[in-house]
Amino acid sequence: MNDMQGLAGETRGEPDSAFRFEGDWREFLPIALTNLLLIVVTLGIYRFWAKARERRYLWSRTRFIDETLEWTGTGKEMLIGFLIVIMVVAPLAVGANLAIEALFLRGQGDLALLLGLGLYAIVFYMVGVAQFRALRYRLSRTYWHGIRGGSADGGWGYGWQFMWKTVAGFMVFGLLVPWSMTELWNDRWNRMSFGQHEFRAGADTHGLFHRWLIVYLVPVVAVIAVAAATGAMISLAAGPSEAAAAAFVFALLFVYLAFLLASLSYYAAYYRQVVNATAVAGIDFEFRARTKDWLKLILGNIGLVIVTLGVGLLFLGYRNWAFAVRHLEAAGEINLDDLLQSPFAATGDAEGLADAFDIGAI
Amino acid sequence: MARGWLYDGESAVRRDVEADGHGAESLRIELADGGRLDVPWELLCHVESRKGCEVYGRTDVKGWRLGLFSEGAEGLLPRMPRRQRYGGLIDRMGLGPAVVAGLLFSGLIVFIGFTAPTWLAPLVPMSWEKKFGDSLVGEWGGRFCKGPGGQQALEKLAGELSPRARDLDIRVVHAPLVNAAALPGGHIVIFDELLKQADSADELAGVLAHEIAHVERRHTTQAMIRELGVGVFVSAIGGRTGSNAETLLSARYSRGAESQADGDAIETLRRANISPLATAGFFDRLGRDEAKLGQAASALSYLSTHPLSAERRQRFRASAEKGRAYQPALNRDEWEALFNICFNDPRRGSDDLDFF
Repeated sequence: MNDMQGLAGETRGEPDSAFRFEGDWREFLPIALTNLLLIVVTLGIYRFWAKARERRYLWSRTRFIDETLEWTGTGKEMLIGFLIVIMVVAPLAVGANLAIEALFLRGQGDLALLLGLGLYAIVFYMVGVAQFRALRYRLSRTYWHGIRGGSADGGWGYGWQFMWKTVAGFMVFGLLVPWSMTELWNDRWNRMSFGQHEFRAGADTHGLFHRWLIVYLVPVVAVIAVAAATGAMISLAAGPSEAAAAAFVFALLFVYLAFLLASLSYYAAYYRQVVNATAVAGIDFEFRARTKDWLKLILGNIGLVIVTLGVGLLFLGYRNWAFAVRHLEAAGEINLDDLLQSPFAATGDAEGLADAFDIGAI
Repeated sequence: MARGWLYDGESAVRRDVEADGHGAESLRIELADGGRLDVPWELLCHVESRKGCEVYGRTDVKGWRLGLFSEGAEGLLPRMPRRQRYGGLIDRMGLGPAVVAGLLFSGLIVFIGFTAPTWLAPLVPMSWEKKFGDSLVGEWGGRFCKGPGGQQALEKLAGELSPRARDLDIRVVHAPLVNAAALPGGHIVIFDELLKQADSADELAGVLAHEIAHVERRHTTQAMIRELGVGVFVSAIGGRTGSNAETLLSARYSRGAESQADGDAIETLRRANISPLATAGFFDRLGRDEAKLGQAASALSYLSTHPLSAERRQRFRASAEKGRAYQPALNRDEWEALFNICFNDPRRGSDDLDFF
């Protein structure tokens, strides 16, 4: 009885996924509008509570098999997490900036440069730590059947992994970026758990390199093409005409769009690869969004914002979450008798660090 | 009795329950598979409303969730905790009053933010500011001009303008800027391009008196507090922090502060018996340069930090007293030494002075 089938299409009449998004934008609209109002009149301080309200709604409308998710994070804890980080980061940043300024004024440019580089390295490291801790925080506040996720790890080791793998990814002309991205996904998720079960992530770069190469080659090919075209024009002794200028602008636009599409196709493949390689508690995840789905999401987001003269910005979080849930699937069996509460303390720093560096978690 | 379900926060298993709310102290929960549970009323909180079901939690057990089906629970639900919508405080006040309170609060914060530098500045001990200014300014990487007799002439001029000139550190700096600036800690710098534009010590006196007024009125301290405050604020909202030397130099004082410094400078010139007409003439000439070179001419940065309105020039001109026997601010030799303080610098042409 307590074995839950997460298999696709097990019950007739249900959408063929264990995950289902049951939200309704008319239900979300009053939440979005009152959030905006309160954020404005509190000079932005309410944004922590606004985020908590938004997530509470989105989580509560996300069904996994027989039960909805629940977000238990609070605005207060997010504000406190943010303040703690600010109290550490702000004096350091202001102090270092003053020191760099003073060194420059005193003509010690080398020392100033060294200090600036040191500061950059620290920020680089902390971005990794922040990414880890934001993910840990989100899992520790996400409940299903009264059980939550979390991690025993503080993310300090992940910070180093993040640093050297990101640098290594950009060595060799950036060709190893897919490797560093999937490795880091595994590094993060293999330290996470839900209940007493650990996540298992074994993503590899299968199917990623050729897409990454296209992203990489579009600008290179474009530069060569433009150079060749210019050379041809010069050799034909054709002066710059209006038609040539128009063709140039058109070509630039084309290259830009090609680059965006290539990036999108890479990211679509990346998310399919990493999510499909992730599992927990007997459940294998699958992400089915293809490039055209991502394209529809992004064009829809842009269109919504334009048509509503910016009001649609309030709905981007909603749309992105709905997109993720609708394309997420799960297969396998979960034994509820065997799913026990997470043994790790739910930490209190919320997303302060990630917030300070303005980065996402997943 | 109301029917419902329970997660105990330990295991993921969902159990059917019945709840009885007649107890004075606690809610009684009977588990369908045997056993019962008494939960004190004050530990219960509302979590969410679902279709036909209200969900409650315990503040002392994370993940503990009790769902009560609305049907058949009409007697019990009014005893249960009320739902939260916007967050504790706003729920207690109501959305309307909370918005009004928020507006008042934001207005107050903005008002304090704007006025704080003005009333905080006099509270900052001069010794602190001096330390800060010294560490910031240092020796300008050796770009102070040291032509013979120049510094003495400059100090003599300052002495005529202010009785406290000895606390100031006034220097001529070799840099291609037509500007003068008052920096934290009583440092005043005059760039030699500005000096070269001046025809006499009297013309320079007005500019110097204006900068001295910024120091004595603590305008530099106000600007510093504003700068630091803005830096902290900017880093607080996650952006790039702080400032660089350029923004420090071009830190604008408020219109009121500029006007106050002009008033002080005019009074200073009157006391020192130096003609304000020279300053007005100097401003006229800089204004003509601006018209010629365009406002974008970065070398004329004095004009961007000290806008030369007709009103300002008129103020200096109008303060001149007809028939008064004004004295020249410096004698001819002193002015020559000051004017050529960078040109006569023994190190001129060395790499030291090629910073910019």
